[in-house]
Formats: sequence, C-alpha cells, structure tokens
Amino acid sequence: MGGAAEAIALIVIVTGLTQTAFYLVQLVYAAIALGTRPPVPRSATLWHRYSEQAPAISVLAPAFNEELSIVQSVRSLLALQYPDFEVIVINDGSNDGTLAKLVESFGLRKVERYVGEAVESAPVRGFYASRDNPRLLVVDKENGGKADALNAGINCSRTPLFCAIDADSILEADALLRVVRPFIDEPQLTIAAGGTIRIANGCKVDAGRISEINLPTNFLALVQIVEYLRAFLMARLALGKMQALLVISGAFGLFDRQRVVEVGGYSHATVGEDMELVIKLHRHMRDLGLAYRVEFIAEPVCWTECPDNVRVLSRQRARWQRGSLECFAKHKDMALNPRYGRIGMIGFGQILLVDVIGPLVEVLGYLLVPLLWGLGLLALPWLLAFLAVTFTLGIFVSMATLVLEEIQLRRLTKARELAVLALIAVVENFGYRQLCNFWRLQGWWQFIRKQQGWGTMTRKGFQTN
Amino acid sequence: MLCLAGAFMLSLLIVARIFAERASHNTEHVRKRLVPVLLGGDANVDRVFGLELRVATRLTLELAEFTRGTDQVELLAVADALGVPGFLHKRSRSRTAQKRLTAIEALALFDNYTDVVEYALNDTNPHVRLGAALALSARSDAPDLSELVRKLRIGEVENSLLLVSLMSDVAERDPSSVRALLTDASLPAAAKVAAVDALADSGYTHAPLLAEIAANPSGDPELQARVFRALGRTGHPGSAHVIEAGLANKDWRIRAAAAEATGQIALRRFADQLGGLLSDDHWSVRFRAGEALLRLGEPGAAVMRRAAAGSEALASRAATILLAEKAAS
Repeated sequence: MGGAAEAIALIVIVTGLTQTAFYLVQLVYAAIALGTRPPVPRSATLWHRYSEQAPAISVLAPAFNEELSIVQSVRSLLALQYPDFEVIVINDGSNDGTLAKLVESFGLRKVERYVGEAVESAPVRGFYASRDNPRLLVVDKENGGKADALNAGINCSRTPLFCAIDADSILEADALLRVVRPFIDEPQLTIAAGGTIRIANGCKVDAGRISEINLPTNFLALVQIVEYLRAFLMARLALGKMQALLVISGAFGLFDRQRVVEVGGYSHATVGEDMELVIKLHRHMRDLGLAYRVEFIAEPVCWTECPDNVRVLSRQRARWQRGSLECFAKHKDMALNPRYGRIGMIGFGQILLVDVIGPLVEVLGYLLVPLLWGLGLLALPWLLAFLAVTFTLGIFVSMATLVLEEIQLRRLTKARELAVLALIAVVENFGYRQLCNFWRLQGWWQFIRKQQGWGTMTRKGFQTN
Repeated sequence: MLCLAGAFMLSLLIVARIFAERASHNTEHVRKRLVPVLLGGDANVDRVFGLELRVATRLTLELAEFTRGTDQVELLAVADALGVPGFLHKRSRSRTAQKRLTAIEALALFDNYTDVVEYALNDTNPHVRLGAALALSARSDAPDLSELVRKLRIGEVENSLLLVSLMSDVAERDPSSVRALLTDASLPAAAKVAAVDALADSGYTHAPLLAEIAANPSGDPELQARVFRALGRTGHPGSAHVIEAGLANKDWRIRAAAAEATGQIALRRFADQLGGLLSDDHWSVRFRAGEALLRLGEPGAAVMRRAAAGSEALASRAATILLAEKAAS
C-alpha cells in the first residue's frame, strides 16, 4: 500500500517538476528573445521607415451583439496608424442593433462587393460602405460563430495580409506598424505573427484609446494580469523564439492571407479555432517542405476586457481547456512526431504536459498526496516535495516573469503596481490556482461529452472618460 | 531558495522604479525648459551635460521627425551647440543594438558624422547595418551598391522589404549600379526583385530591362508575380509581349499580376484576353482581370458589359458585381 502511495506521489511530483523545468527553459528563452530582439524604434520612426513598403492589411473584426461598443471600436480601428489598411467589420447575425448603429454612425449604405469563396462561411446578406469612410466595409452575414465570421472576412479581404481581432478589444494605435515587422524583415518566410494581449480592466478609455493605464481593483482581474504576463511574456515569446509557437491569440494576430486560404481558413467545429489555425499552418508548411516562420512580437499591444466574476471566468477557462484538447485530439498524429520537428516535439509536448495531463495530475495530487500523508502511507518529505513543486516553483516562475517585464518592457506605469502584482503572484497559488484546475477539469468533462458552443461572455464595457 | 532570489530581485527593481519615478519629474521639467531652446533657432547656447544632455538628445530626435528644411537645419545647429552629436557618437558604440541604431540614424542628420554612420555598415547587428545604409542613402552618401550588397549580405542575411527603399534611393542617383545587380548571377532572386521594384519606382526608363527579367522566370512564382507588378508600375507599353505571355501563364499568381499590369499600363488591345480571365478558376485572377478592364476605359467596360450579359456564370457574376462596385464608387 505504501509503495502504491509513493508511486502516485512520484507521478504527481515528476509531472510538476517536468512542467516547472519546461517553464524555466521558457524563461531563459524569453529572456534571450527580449535581449536580442531587433531594435524597437518609436512609432513615428517606424511610420517614416515603413510608409513606402508596408504591405496592405485588412483588419477583420467579427462582431456579435456589440451594439454598445461597436461604434467606438470601429472609430478606434479607423484611427490606427498604418499606411495602407482597410477595416472589415463582420456582423455575425447579431440580433441586437449592431448593424443599425454602424449604418447610422458611419453613414453607410448597401453596396455590391465582389468577393471570393476561398474559405467556407455562412451566407452573406449584404455589404455596407460609405464614401466618407473608404477604409470601412461592413459585412452583414448569417450567424455562424467567430470562426465563420473570420472566414467571411478573409473572403472579402483583397490584401496580402489580414489581422484578426476581437471587435470589443482595443488595438494600440501603432500595433499594426509593430506587428508587421516580421513580414517586412522576412517577407518570404513569415506566415503569421502575434502580439501581446493586455488586460484593460481598471484602465480608462477615451475615444477608443486607452488614456490611462491603471491596475483593476478586482482580485480576479488582477490575477489574470499575472497570468497574461506569464502566457505572453514568457510562454509565447519563448515558444516563438524556439519556432514552436502553436497559438496566436484570436484577439490579435496577423496572417498571410494566401497561406490561410490554402489551409481552408478557420475551422468551425472547435472553440480553439485560433490555435487550430496556427497548427494547420505549421502542418501545411511542413508537409510542403517549405521554410517558414511564425513569430510572436512583444511590443504591439491589444487591450481586452477580462472576466471579473467567477461564473464567466469559469466558463472561459473550461472553454479554453476544451479548445486545447480538441486541437490536440484533432492533430494527435503530430504530437511527439519527429516528422514535425520542434512543432511535434516542443509545441505539442507543451500541450500534452500543460493542457492534457497537467490539470488531471495536479488535481490528483491535491486530493491524494495530503490524504495519503494523513493516513500515514506517505512520509513527510513526499508531502513537502509536492508542496514545493506546486507552490514555491509556481511563485518563482511568476516572479521571474515580472522581473523580465520590468527589466525589458517596463509597461507598468508605477512602482506600486509592480509591488501589487508581486503580491498577487504569491497569493494566486493559494486557492485561485486550485480553482483554475477545477475549471480545467470541467473543460475536460465537456470535451469528453463532446459539448459544443462558446457559452455567454458577459462584458461590462470599458471604463470611459 | 529560488523563490527568495526572485523576490529579492523584484524588490530591488521596485526600489529602482521608485527612484526612477522621482527622476522622471526632473526629466519633465528639463524637457519643458529645452523645447523652446531647441526650437528657438539660436545656436548661441551653452553645452549641456548629464540629464540635460540626455533629454536634449531625445528631444532632438523627436523634433527632427516633425521638422524639414530650414527649421530642421536650425534645430540641428542648436543641438550641435548643446553637444548632442558627441553624445550620440558615444551611444553609437553602446553594447545595446537598439541604442546603436537610434544613435546612428540620428547622427546621419548631422553633416560631420558621415564616417561614423558609414562605419556602422560593419556592425554585427543586421538591423543597425540596414539602418545605417538607409540613413546614408537618404542623404545620398551611401557607398557603392556592390559594397552595400556585400556589407549587408543582401539576399543571404538581409531580405527586408526596406531594401526596396534603399535601392530606390540609390537608383535615383546611380541607376546603372542597380541595373548591374540584375545581371549578377551570384545574387539571390529575392535580392534582385528588390532591385526590380526600385527600378520600377523610378519610372519608364528601365522598363525594357524589367520586361526581360519578367520574361525569364526565377523559379519562384511569388517573386515572378512581383516582377510583373513592378512592370505595371513603370507604365511602359513596350513590355506588352511579356505581359501577354503572363496573362496565359499556368501559375495563377502570375496571371493575376499580369492582369494588374495590363490595367496599369492601359494595354487596351488585351481587353479580350482579360475578358477571358473573368472566368478563370481562381478568384484573384477574375478580380484583377475585372479591375484591369475597368481601368481600360470604354473598351474594357464594353468587355465587362458583354461578360455580364453572357452565359458564362463565373464571368457574368464577376463582371456584374464589379461594374456595380465601380458605379457606386
């Protein structure tokens, strides 16, 4: 009995240690990536430098029932600093006044538009444009979900690159100028690039721009700031540096339109459509035997509102978990397959370790290790080792990410904010982390039951001046 | 132990940030004082040091972006008197590539530092090398193109789209050196395409050479299509025979680019070929063909109207919608 208990503890601890080791490697790679990144000029310099050569971009903004914020979002998109871009808003069968608000606010009228059918999407009901805003096109289509709306946008775009965003997010004015850099530096190789997502809860918004950066007062929003820092500044930056990046956030990613068309666009039958698109691109390019790059750039920022109550956050986390599992299951032949190189070994290795078995083993550890120790079946060092792996190493990784942020990017405006986030990096390990694992188990359960759909994401809207 | 190390490091950074926040108030004060000095146009000012010099340097870079002509000359004269170029020179030897690049680009604004900028063409960082080359070429001080190709390792390490800007600047004063690149067998196709784009932007004169390049495929349809688009930008009708062949190319990317070029050069005699492409299997080709027809004026519009009324479904749809789009615009 004691032997079995020790075996269970060993599995839990070794899994935790392997995950931590992977995070430590990511930290090192993230530090290297930040330390060796190309010079980051001011946006005025970038504009001057890129004005003649920047490839045209279609910004695709799918919108579903966004009547409260859509006008402000579109105004903010139209004010982006980029030499050549168009904004395509896709009204995905909203049943509120989203389309009417757009038509009224921008003086739109119904027009014809010759579009292709390169990727699958639900029928388009009409196009709306205005001579006063030649950069804006609104596509009204039947509801089909976010992936379907993005596919409709891809069909409508006439530019070599498209940028997929969430209509309710706020792109910083120079975000396109910054995220396009790999497409300028390596135009023949780059097929996709992602930027940083930051949490806007607590910030003030004025005319579709973040006018004052503040930390939120809500605990859940604060914890998610630390989580996003870990996800973007550590994991994505490192995986980008390793050329093993499998996720470009659906809220902000720039893609080579033709390559995306070649893989059939966004997939419909998954809630992880952003991750699946990147995996399909990797598979496609490797199957063709072509050299390519998928990059992550830390400087361009897209601001988004995160859930600040348990009910919505739990649904989001379960959905993310389900999305990862769906992608992993759909492309399982790539996992640990040397034919797919670092994508198969590192990218899929990470999903396997962190998303597939991670929550299962960690929850098993929470339940069994203290219990077995309490029953006298495990010696104290086993319990201490488990606690060390779970808590102290977790705290270290978060602290180290904050150190990286402060040394390299310095986007937190005040010393007090850094101190608050340092405190949160400790506190989140006691309670929040366990709760997250529980939500991820719910995602596992939904995946097993083949549950579909996104659920409802209730947004409060940005705090405006 | 690891945790304590992380916490200690973070504490240090928080303390450093507190001091930095205090310093930023001073910086703001110095900025407010220096802006009118820099924009005042009076170069009879004393040198500044320390924080003032750093702020003056940053301000010079910011203001130089928004000034031109005599205003910029006066600004740079004041900056020179304040000691900004000396500070930039020191920064051009920084260990941080970002600082070196900023310093080099800014030094290129001052007349007496061309040799420092030229030296940066040997920098270990490719971005600094390219920045130096662009800065030099913008003021017509760039060395020979062959030397730039060698130092920047164009086509091997350097493939940036900014090479087109660089070559365009060079082509303005020495087009023959850019033309020479096109016949250099050792140069990768991607680098040649940058030269093609640069020559196309400089107009009519180089069209026959570009037509020759377009007629000889590089092997990469993407690059070949770029050559056709460049050919279109020259607006030269002498390349009609190459474009006609491009319209029938088996690769859709080349057909689409050739159609685009046909419209740009206004080759009305190819209206029927473009009309045929309205029923191409590939949407991009149909779209570019329709767009080109609409640029051809009445002969193109007539082909579009015939296609719209015709029985070929793909062509009819393309022509009908594009005509409607045109009418609404």
